[in-house]
Amino acid sequence: MDFKLSEEEEKRRKEFFDGCEELAKERPEDFIGGIEADFETKNQPYVTRCRKEFAKRGWLRLGWPPEYGGVGTHMDRVFFGEARGYYGLPGVDIFGIEMLGPTLLAMGNKEVKDRFLPGIGNGDTLWCELYSEPNAGSDLAALTTTAIRKGDEYVINGQKTWSTNAHNADWAFGLFRTDPQGRKRRNISFLLMDMKTPGISINPLEYLNRAHLYNEVFFDDVHVPADQIIGEENQGWTVSQTLVNFERSNVLAVSAVQRMLEMLVGYCNETKVGGKPLSQDPVIRNKLAEMATEIEASRTLAYYIADQQNRNQVAALFESSAMKVFVGDLFERLGALGTDILGTYGQVSASRWARESGVWESLYQTAFVLTISMGTNEIQKNIIAWYGLGMPRPLSPVSIEKAVAAAQAAK
Amino acid sequence: MDTTFTEEQTMLRKSTADFLVEKYPEIKVREIEESDTGHDPEIWKGMAELGWMGLVIPEEYEGMGMTFQDLSIVLEEMGRNIAPGPFFCTVLEGAYPIIDAGSEEQKKEFLPKIANGELIFTLALLEADGIYDASDVAVKAVPKGDDFVINGTKLFVEQAINADYMIVVARTKEGASPEDGITLFIVDAKTSGIHCEVIPTIGMEKLCEVSFKDVAVPKKNMLGELDKGWPIVSKVMERAAIAKASESLGAMDGIVPMTTDYLKDRVQYDEPLAQFQALQHIMADMFISLTTSKYLVYEAVWMESEGLPCAKEVAMAKSYVNQNYKEFSRLMVRLYAGNGTHREFKPGLYYRRAKAASIAFGDTELQRERIARAIGLVS
Repeated sequence: MDFKLSEEEEKRRKEFFDGCEELAKERPEDFIGGIEADFETKNQPYVTRCRKEFAKRGWLRLGWPPEYGGVGTHMDRVFFGEARGYYGLPGVDIFGIEMLGPTLLAMGNKEVKDRFLPGIGNGDTLWCELYSEPNAGSDLAALTTTAIRKGDEYVINGQKTWSTNAHNADWAFGLFRTDPQGRKRRNISFLLMDMKTPGISINPLEYLNRAHLYNEVFFDDVHVPADQIIGEENQGWTVSQTLVNFERSNVLAVSAVQRMLEMLVGYCNETKVGGKPLSQDPVIRNKLAEMATEIEASRTLAYYIADQQNRNQVAALFESSAMKVFVGDLFERLGALGTDILGTYGQVSASRWARESGVWESLYQTAFVLTISMGTNEIQKNIIAWYGLGMPRPLSPVSIEKAVAAAQAAK
Repeated sequence: MDTTFTEEQTMLRKSTADFLVEKYPEIKVREIEESDTGHDPEIWKGMAELGWMGLVIPEEYEGMGMTFQDLSIVLEEMGRNIAPGPFFCTVLEGAYPIIDAGSEEQKKEFLPKIANGELIFTLALLEADGIYDASDVAVKAVPKGDDFVINGTKLFVEQAINADYMIVVARTKEGASPEDGITLFIVDAKTSGIHCEVIPTIGMEKLCEVSFKDVAVPKKNMLGELDKGWPIVSKVMERAAIAKASESLGAMDGIVPMTTDYLKDRVQYDEPLAQFQALQHIMADMFISLTTSKYLVYEAVWMESEGLPCAKEVAMAKSYVNQNYKEFSRLMVRLYAGNGTHREFKPGLYYRRAKAASIAFGDTELQRERIARAIGLVS
């Protein structure tokens, strides 16, 4: 077992870091990087600048098959994520690049791939996800927005929510109930649609810090061509659970927290409180050392997952669940630690009074991105317990009631 | 990068596990723990036959010339089985410093005998303050004719009662800094003037008080250079710290399936405990901590094995595993509940050992201060 990158890999990794460092120099004064930076309207010129540059370098098609303009290897995807995370750069549409792209590559037919992959890989088409509903969160398969087949179209009615970036997206992919009477998980289809289709309306939702990241999306008789389905009708749940082609190391998040920790170390070295540098405070030293340790643990795990995936696409599934939980928690705790260390200034939003450009006050609020989206930490823990450790699924209150009723009826 | 173990390493793990499971059933572990010596010569002989003590000793000194990474696999399995005995101190605190700093004569004299199981070694380092720091070294060695004469008391010397030789860290000069003026000696444990007594400890690993009263050691038994012994000690401490982390990782890797199985077996309210979500999430948290611990340890082991500078990575791995092993064993006691608190059940064994392991070769506070310096926090 060794963690040494080959010379060629080191060279490639440096190319990504150098490229990202250059782009980071162009960032606007008021730009606070972070996972959410892609979505805010005021950031769009810089987001576009980064996306176009990445597209030009082929970095949005890393690890894709050559017939769709693919360049590089799976490890290149990992290095790019690492570099982008470190410099806090926007410009990679996670819905198109990280989610739909791999899904189409695994499950799409040739027509669909030919039609949609170029726009994703060239950074021309922005995507959003239409999954969650007001009453379908963790229990996503309980969704009720319907897509009823009429001739060669589906007609959609209902409501989606938490649709991140729907306000910037050109196209969307989503899950809709195509068989209202069908069994749960076997009544859902995976559809693609143009966000300008008549009948779609978007209502912005404010995030904790007032950022415009996500939206409610309403559907009123929205007609979608039937050939924009991925997979078979009523097989959408399976499509959405595809495991191949995804980059699961979360290395981007790791290098983002790594960079934030370095900033915090710098701040503690330079900032005197009561005449003494914060870096001399033994409590602060202990806490930063602990945080650095956990970041290194997550970095080594990310590299393990990356290497295993590089060897076998569907490897290390439970390790990647563990990774997501761990690094998500790290974000929340780092936000708390940073604001604690800033003391009174930990509450100041970006303004002339803020320290460190208000980055910690911002992180304190946006740190939930990883722990809640794409399967909350609690859901990930269920997955680990049930499928990783083979513990039996708990009986739901409904099944308990049914069992009790059945027992009483038998009497 | 290749994050899988080689086929040879996987075989080594399997043969180690097979031997340990056979030789160290829980009942045997307890028997050795409760015995006066904490050492079973029969098992020791079996380990020698498998070549374990000579695993990392170069072939020219009758060892197997394998790597530190290979050794760490054996240590993981020993940790999983909570195997007591003088293996750790003989290899990590005896063989390695001689490989690192011994003269050709010393290597020829001691290494083959360590490799074939004839000699048990240990390191006499800690004193009254109980800290892994040169400032704690007060035991004096004074030259006299062809000898050095050692006086003073060492504490927490692992398995000293079983040791044939001790490497004694002594002060030979009051130098400009605490690190300056420290010299190492290979001391025959039967030399007159040496007195050993076992200190009762939570892990029952036979940590001893060793007093030296006018103990004469031939000058030829000096290990390394006069007054310049501290770097040898530092290297031993770094390597032993990550080795201890490997041992602890093995224990953690054992605790997770063992506890899961217990929860699957034990029924309350007509359901296996494993079906309760409150307990499932505790186990999931343990799985997550185990997963993050693994590659942090493996990275540090690999760096150590390759001879790369790794003070920071070792401190990270040791501190992280210190905390996690303690937490795992605490939760194991909790999940076994009443049974967990009973001395006859397994959780207590791990719980007691985890505390001892977290202290050995640098507790979390010490390691975190090293990390704080390494990440650039100005002091």
